[in-house]
Amino acid sequence: MTITLPTPPQREEAPPSGPVSPTFTQLARAFVGVALAGIGGGIPAHTRRAMLSRGWLDDAEFAEAFTLAQLTPGPNGVNLAAMVGARLGGKRGALASTLGVLTPGLIAMTAVTLLLLGLPGGLPPTLQSALRGAACAALAVMLAMVGPIVRVGWSLNAGKLPIGAAVTVLTFVALGVLRLDLLPVLVVLVGLGLMAHRPRRPQEK
Amino acid sequence: MPTPDLLLEIFLTFMRLGLTGFGGTNLAEMERLLVGQHGWIDARTFANGFALGQLMPGPNLLAVTHYGFVIAGGWGAAAATVGFYGPTSVLSAAAALLWKRHGAHPWSLTFRNALLPFGGGVLLAGVLVLGQTSIHSWAAAALALLAFVILRRTRLNSALVVVGAAVIGALIGL
Repeated sequence: MTITLPTPPQREEAPPSGPVSPTFTQLARAFVGVALAGIGGGIPAHTRRAMLSRGWLDDAEFAEAFTLAQLTPGPNGVNLAAMVGARLGGKRGALASTLGVLTPGLIAMTAVTLLLLGLPGGLPPTLQSALRGAACAALAVMLAMVGPIVRVGWSLNAGKLPIGAAVTVLTFVALGVLRLDLLPVLVVLVGLGLMAHRPRRPQEK
Repeated sequence: MPTPDLLLEIFLTFMRLGLTGFGGTNLAEMERLLVGQHGWIDARTFANGFALGQLMPGPNLLAVTHYGFVIAGGWGAAAATVGFYGPTSVLSAAAALLWKRHGAHPWSLTFRNALLPFGGGVLLAGVLVLGQTSIHSWAAAALALLAFVILRRTRLNSALVVVGAAVIGALIGL
């Protein structure tokens, strides 16, 4: 997964090229499709394809939405859906795309959970083993995604100070090793970043 | 039916988890709250739910629905899911509309630069916690490594890799 840096929208506000904005149902259906294609992840990639093929967004618009979805707290795929929906159809659009991207998984997860919890005598040993195996792969999925994302934050220096690397390491130690409460850590370390990166002269870095 | 107090607590806990996951999910905080502080689920359920979530269509974090269900049945699942996804979706939609207006402001860039390294650290902490809950043997470590290499080297759908690892896990009695 790569992160595109946000380009400030210098282009003037042209009216959206695709004058037909999708309806509630169209948006919801598009995102149900995104969810079904995205078994095992990759929601952003599928979202991009779905939006471009319908002519609802172009690549630049998608990149901007994707970056914003990275920056807002919460699950990326769902955030991205909400953002794209908001962009295309305001509040109702956001609702449609969020419901669309969540519904298939909610149905599947509820069914599987009912099935698993309803088994008499708990999970059979073979299934336990299978889930342990799946958990190992799930860790690998996470690892494969982490690299590119960490690298972006890591290389954000403030002047000569490697503040990005420092904040990454400190956050990891505070939350992963020391298991500190997140909110105070967030206040201190994001505060540090805000101070280091505060706007000075209108000049790059 | 679970008490309204419990449902409210589930809702608020998952809302907090949703709003404090940057660039993905804050697994470390999730484990700390659900397994440690509240004692709602055990470490095994935590790892199982996460693995199940990887197999579901859509976002990878449907594990929250599973956790909610284990804690307090259908109502718990609803409280956890709405709490986790609702507020962040509203926030994202609002941010999309705000960014359209203020994206070029210098402080927007400052904010972004401050947040990205923090998000990276949060992700790394999540990997550590997930590793601790799911890797208990050399076989498990080898399986995870194998899956990682396959994911990096090929363009195989990750759900297939997870299913494959489940089959291997069942075969070798992990």
